[in-house]
Amino acid sequence: MTPSWADLGSGALRAALPLALWGLAAAAYAAQRREGRALASARWTAVAALALVVTASLSMVAALLSHDFSVRYVALNNALETPGYFSAISLWAALEGSILLWTTVLAGAVTYVAWRGTRELPRLATTALAILFAMLAFFLALMVTPAADPFVRIDPAPLNGRGPNPLLQDHWLMGLHPPLLYLGYVLFSIPFAYALASLILGEAGDRWIVATRRSALVAWALLGVGIVAGAWWSYAVLGWGGYWAWDPVENAAVMPWLAATAYVHSVMVEEKRRMLRTWNLSLVIGAFALTILGTFLTRSGVVNSVHSFTQSAIGPLLLGYLAAILVFSVGLLLWRASRLADSGPVGAPLSREAIFLFQNVLFVAATLTVLLGTLYPLLVEAVSGDQVSIGSPYFDRVAVPLGLALLFLMGIGPQLPWHGASRATLERQLVTPALAAAGAAVLSVALGVRGAWAVLAYALAAFVVATVVQELVRGVRARRALHGEPPGAAFVNLFRRSGRRYGGYVVHVGIAVIAVAIAASQAQSVQAEATLAPGGSMEVAGRTIAFEGLRDVIEPQRRQVVADLRITDSSGEAPLTAALRYYPNATAAIGSPGIRSSAGDDVYVILAAYDGRSRAWATFQVRVLPLVSWLWVGGAIVGLGAVLAALPSARRRERPLAVTVPASSAAGAK
Amino acid sequence: MSPRLALIAGALAVLAALVVAAAPRAESQEQRIERIAAELRCPVCQGLSVADSPSDTAREMRALIAQRVAEGRSDGEIRDEFRRAYGDWVLLSPPLLDARGAVWLVPLAVVLAGLAVVASRLGRAPPLTAPSPDQVALLRARAAEDEEPL
Repeated sequence: MTPSWADLGSGALRAALPLALWGLAAAAYAAQRREGRALASARWTAVAALALVVTASLSMVAALLSHDFSVRYVALNNALETPGYFSAISLWAALEGSILLWTTVLAGAVTYVAWRGTRELPRLATTALAILFAMLAFFLALMVTPAADPFVRIDPAPLNGRGPNPLLQDHWLMGLHPPLLYLGYVLFSIPFAYALASLILGEAGDRWIVATRRSALVAWALLGVGIVAGAWWSYAVLGWGGYWAWDPVENAAVMPWLAATAYVHSVMVEEKRRMLRTWNLSLVIGAFALTILGTFLTRSGVVNSVHSFTQSAIGPLLLGYLAAILVFSVGLLLWRASRLADSGPVGAPLSREAIFLFQNVLFVAATLTVLLGTLYPLLVEAVSGDQVSIGSPYFDRVAVPLGLALLFLMGIGPQLPWHGASRATLERQLVTPALAAAGAAVLSVALGVRGAWAVLAYALAAFVVATVVQELVRGVRARRALHGEPPGAAFVNLFRRSGRRYGGYVVHVGIAVIAVAIAASQAQSVQAEATLAPGGSMEVAGRTIAFEGLRDVIEPQRRQVVADLRITDSSGEAPLTAALRYYPNATAAIGSPGIRSSAGDDVYVILAAYDGRSRAWATFQVRVLPLVSWLWVGGAIVGLGAVLAALPSARRRERPLAVTVPASSAAGAK
Repeated sequence: MSPRLALIAGALAVLAALVVAAAPRAESQEQRIERIAAELRCPVCQGLSVADSPSDTAREMRALIAQRVAEGRSDGEIRDEFRRAYGDWVLLSPPLLDARGAVWLVPLAVVLAGLAVVASRLGRAPPLTAPSPDQVALLRARAAEDEEPL
């Protein structure tokens, strides 16, 4: 047999495993003995391991693109008819490929820490490097066992493959959403490894937090943007008119994000006040453990989900990995507990510290709610054998009050200085945001919005945005007073010099936009259903949707029944299509909704049923979802804010004066 | 107007808007069907409700709900009919007053316990004290050790 891409990939993985183990040993020795040559060896080992894992990933992509069905993964997830783009991204269409992608990102993280981290904090980072090498070795070991070997061969090779899961070859977003989530998941390994290294070395300080601030923020942002991209994919592909179903896999992604959101805020308390050491370590351990739990839940088949595309023997291995991580981390935490204890109160009741603590309580409650809701059916079944469901009605009822309380804190927090403020100061700061909230509430009621939750969401979103605007205005004024800069330059410099603070505010605006989009699209949506004959039409929320007819479209990889529609609204007339797609490897048709998006609302048309014999009629479900496209815009704003917050600040080149005077207290003192 | 008065006025305006928005409205029959369907699980889907699912089964279940609503059945009667047919599994959220209602208490318990812990940790911070010379020396020594290249 001639050598193939799969042989190359398989060989690369098998060569990378001993390298990861060598890297682990070298880094551990280097950290323990302060041995420079061992560190140099670990560094080059990281580069070699990364090169091998990247080779393996690219080999898989090449095997997919060349339709090498002698590889089981390719035979199960690719077909001759699969278009090139979807062949390439089938790297993450199923379990083995996803683990390969995960391992590739992890090898990148190892290399980053080996070369960058160890220059800044040699001992801490080298210890963290050993931990990261251990994780890399685990995932490489998974892939050389039959449980998750991506390059297992089948002989004889089938003439054609089964093709990717239809849901995965239906939308370009599939090329974006899973890698973003994996990047987010895996980059959390860096703060986690530094946290453990800090515990192992018995450090009492916050150096691990400062050193991993950027990677934690980037991981948080990628996970957040990945979740929004997933919601968008769900909206555009799953064809049910929604974007969030509290599916176990959605929950698996949102849990670490919630824990990490608590973390990126509460570390600021430790940096400023040297408090909450045990708590921050617990949060980063929890967030990391939740990324592994999420992978376990989605990949083991223990929960039913649209996303659990494969089931395999990998479940027990991942569970063992999770248990080992928890035992090791919690053991370290208990061992070092005496060095980490706080002394005295964390802060005054009216201080930023206090708001961060309340925020942490709500985020932890949200995380535990999602965790419990996801696992509850399993628990009940294990105890009593009964089957129960926990779905959106439960999660919505708990998440809405928690989310609104968090919006409120988001508006208050930035107004309060560290160490506390007087009540009079706080009152003065809150006047403008409170009036903005009142304006938004009254306006939305006047415009006919009904439902207290929706009105409260608009009011609180206005509250948050007004807070941010007020802070920006104050910051610009302070810079003009201190440095005499023109307003434009002062505005840009706010972000350049204090990117963390103002980038964070941009994130807050993004979250407020998302809150408005969710409230509007959930509470103000309109729906209708009609069965139409060609030439017939229906009216929904002031729009006319005319049905022109059905046609069959035959493509190499699928067959489609497409309904041609014409939608007329105040802005004119436009064609729209909704389709049902039939894939040879799927029993049920995949709906492809017709979506007409605008800033005000989306018209979402689902082809629900049609006359299979004579094409004489079709049934359409139409939903009009106000402001739903702002959800994606909000996600982009969150990503932008996180980039601004993670960019290196230019403050070192500036006189220290502006750094020591926070903008809010500078303005408040006038 | 003093800041405090402005804040009170703003809060009252929000409250008034909420009261108006929350005023009970007559529910149309479609809205009632939708509300009942949203609480029921579509048996052939992955975790979607009967209201959300575009599947044939869900459409038939919605039609049955519409029929029962037209017959004048109560919400509870309709839910129980589905519960008898499919088991507790068909309910997307467990009833609060049920053996399994405990799932509702957890978020509340976590929030209350968390607030209690936070309340116990808040207070006037003691004035910042300068680190003792010993502590400074220890930190310096450790920093010097770390900054040395390996």
